Amino acid sequence: MSFKNYKDKIDEGDTVILYLSNNLYALEVRREIKNKKGEMIENVFQTPFGALKVKNLIGADFGSRVELSKGWGHVLQPTPELWSLTLPHRTQIIYTPDISMILLQLDLVPGSTVIEAGTGSGSLTHALIRRVRPHGHVFTFDFHEHRAKIAKEEFEEHGIADFVTARHRDVLELGFGEELNGKVDAVFLDLPSPWAGIPHAVTAIKEEGGRFCSFSPCIEQVQRSCIALQEHGFQDIVTMEVLQTELKVTRRTIPVRDLSFLRHKSSECPVEEKPSGDTSYVVGAWPASTPGHTGYLTVATLPPDFKKSKAKDMMKSDVPEDKSDSSESDDRMVIDESVNQ
Amino acid sequence: MTPNKISVGDYLILQKQNYKKLLKFNKPNLTVTVGRDTINLTGIEGWPYFSVFKMVSNSSKKNREYSLELTQEIVNLKDEIDVKISGNDNRNIFDDGHSQKLSAADIEELKVDSSKASDIVETLITNSNTFHSKTEFSQEKYLRKKEKKYFEYIQIVRPNLRIITEVMYKLDPGKIQGIRVDTLSQIITMANIQSEGNHLLYDSGSNGLLAAALLSAIGNQTNGKLVHMHPGNMSQKQALLAMNFNEEHLNRCISVNVYSALRQYYQGCDTNDNTSSELNHLKRKAEDCIEIKSKVSKTENAIDKYINTEDDNISEDSKPEPKKPKWHFDNIAASTILKDKMDSLVIACKEDPKNIFNELLEFVKPGRPFVIYYNVAEPLQQLYMLLKSMSNVAALKLSCNWMRNYQVLPDRTHPEVTMDGAGGFLLTGYVLK
Ligand SMILES: C[S@@+](CC[C@H](N)C(=O)[O-])C[C@H]1O[C@@H](n2cnc3c(N)ncnc32)[C@H](O)[C@@H]1O
Repeated sequence: MSFKNYKDKIDEGDTVILYLSNNLYALEVRREIKNKKGEMIENVFQTPFGALKVKNLIGADFGSRVELSKGWGHVLQPTPELWSLTLPHRTQIIYTPDISMILLQLDLVPGSTVIEAGTGSGSLTHALIRRVRPHGHVFTFDFHEHRAKIAKEEFEEHGIADFVTARHRDVLELGFGEELNGKVDAVFLDLPSPWAGIPHAVTAIKEEGGRFCSFSPCIEQVQRSCIALQEHGFQDIVTMEVLQTELKVTRRTIPVRDLSFLRHKSSECPVEEKPSGDTSYVVGAWPASTPGHTGYLTVATLPPDFKKSKAKDMMKSDVPEDKSDSSESDDRMVIDESVNQ
Repeated sequence: MTPNKISVGDYLILQKQNYKKLLKFNKPNLTVTVGRDTINLTGIEGWPYFSVFKMVSNSSKKNREYSLELTQEIVNLKDEIDVKISGNDNRNIFDDGHSQKLSAADIEELKVDSSKASDIVETLITNSNTFHSKTEFSQEKYLRKKEKKYFEYIQIVRPNLRIITEVMYKLDPGKIQGIRVDTLSQIITMANIQSEGNHLLYDSGSNGLLAAALLSAIGNQTNGKLVHMHPGNMSQKQALLAMNFNEEHLNRCISVNVYSALRQYYQGCDTNDNTSSELNHLKRKAEDCIEIKSKVSKTENAIDKYINTEDDNISEDSKPEPKKPKWHFDNIAASTILKDKMDSLVIACKEDPKNIFNELLEFVKPGRPFVIYYNVAEPLQQLYMLLKSMSNVAALKLSCNWMRNYQVLPDRTHPEVTMDGAGGFLLTGYVLK
């Protein structure tokens, strides 16, 4: 339940984030869990620093230190950002740098209504919910039945089900559902053929207009989306890429080599001098390997209805749409990263 | 729901092609300058946002004064003009400056005579030696250029965080501490800003952009509160005002001078002058305010470039009120919220962040996030080393962002040739007990 409100103390049923020397783990606070044979046994969470008796967390303060058999760690209340770093991957997910930009580009504020497809692992969904609650709502769709079901259960367990409706639905084929026609402020698409979802986005966005964003790894997807956006009367179409690098901060002591004494004759003439001393800096080093690409964000504004009429006329002379692509298999999500954890 | 009609008193965005200007529509016949043009806004009042207006030249060609006329359709030259012949490449194009048979005077005359810009451009094309040997791409580029020249439209849209950030960054990143939109978006998420909770911001100068960003995520009609501390005598509010927040919303941001608020918190009084009577002090402070006001109006001229405002708010704030100045109550309110402890801490400073962070950390509940912004890495690196050694924070991370925009056109997609290079650095983490 620990995603709903700020909490000071841990209750049974909460999800907590365990922070252990630069590593983060999400765990659910249950006194007992089922073992492989289906018997209830004491819940013990194994960490590189030894075992954690999960029941000891109940009643502890968030932000406090917890003892492990071979060390200690700290417990934090999950935020959408911490959750994105620890959640079980059922698909590829979107991370905080892109998520942050998506929230800002969609003009989302508490009270907004937003559509998301596909739900995937719910990484973005948690951040959308936090931004639009308490009066707003997230409608999230996935055509993968199991994922839609798990996501729904997760939102319930996290205490945020009131702010989100998770549905199992192929949104490219069926749209977002009649009940959402003209009801939403923004539409976000993270699926293989976002351009095919754009007409449905137009139908769902409110009469007074709204925002659209799609996240696509490939530039070809972006090109098709941009054409579709133009044809459907969107304006301010912008494509961007956002990357984040974590700098490794250390104090570095480096040798100092003096060459100035060579200007004058001296008794010694060694070829290889030792450095004459050292000096130290605090440095922020760029990692040898850092994210180089996640996806392109394409954003656009759908103007209010009174502005759209002309665009609709234009659409009659439409560029042909290649329908075969919408049934393309979603190969971005076949890697289940949770398996090798 | 906020009304969707343009009304006097609103801050609004005037958009001309890719150029955007933020202004306060404080009278129906407001005149604004856009580049070399002067535009009179009479007539936009009452139309819905997103309306497009055509710029109509008022008088002689010289002084470039325009009025606005509502229009239903934007003409797209590419659709209007049917180009029949184009070349395969540019091998035969030699621009000797004589490719246009019409003289500048002819063109001026044409502009006066023709009502439709597409007529003007068609005449230009007919009289061009080179147009038809240009490639299709170059022809399109030519048409787009002419479109810019002869089709002048203004669209009025409502400001929001996204647009205000863009306008302010484009105008002068230095005025908002170089906070680029991606970095700003991460400040909001990494600090877990939401409709609940008490949020603490220290901002030593972003023209109100950070307060606007956080308050927008805190939301209208919610419980969240923002304590906005600043080192100056007046808080900078331009971006905050430009968001057109209603009173209920705006009132949940309490802007206080950091010295007075902390003095109030620790000493129970927001002045350090305990010898003279309170009244005396208040008088002195009120006089200070007037001095400051003259300073403020000077800086405002600079700000005027992107915000036209008769800042009634500032003059209101600084009106001498010897009895109960508003800032005094703000200090008390801030101090009360600080006593309840804060759910997040955001610092964007020009000073060394170390002392500010250590002082303000006191107010943050254990387990809650903090974000410190600085426009270069070194001060954050020093602080990182210090915090590592103190172990009162977790998940400490120094990050740097990169952002690039793309031109997306059929067969001509590539990154924009220039990018906003400076995004600043963020030091983030969570407070431990
Ligand atoms: C990459 S994942 C989304 C990840 C998600 N944004 C996150 O951050 O966790 C893409 C999802 O879209 C779903 N999907 C693909 N095509 C769809 C369609 N036509 N309708 C609904 N969902 C679809 C897939 O099942 C998959 O779960």
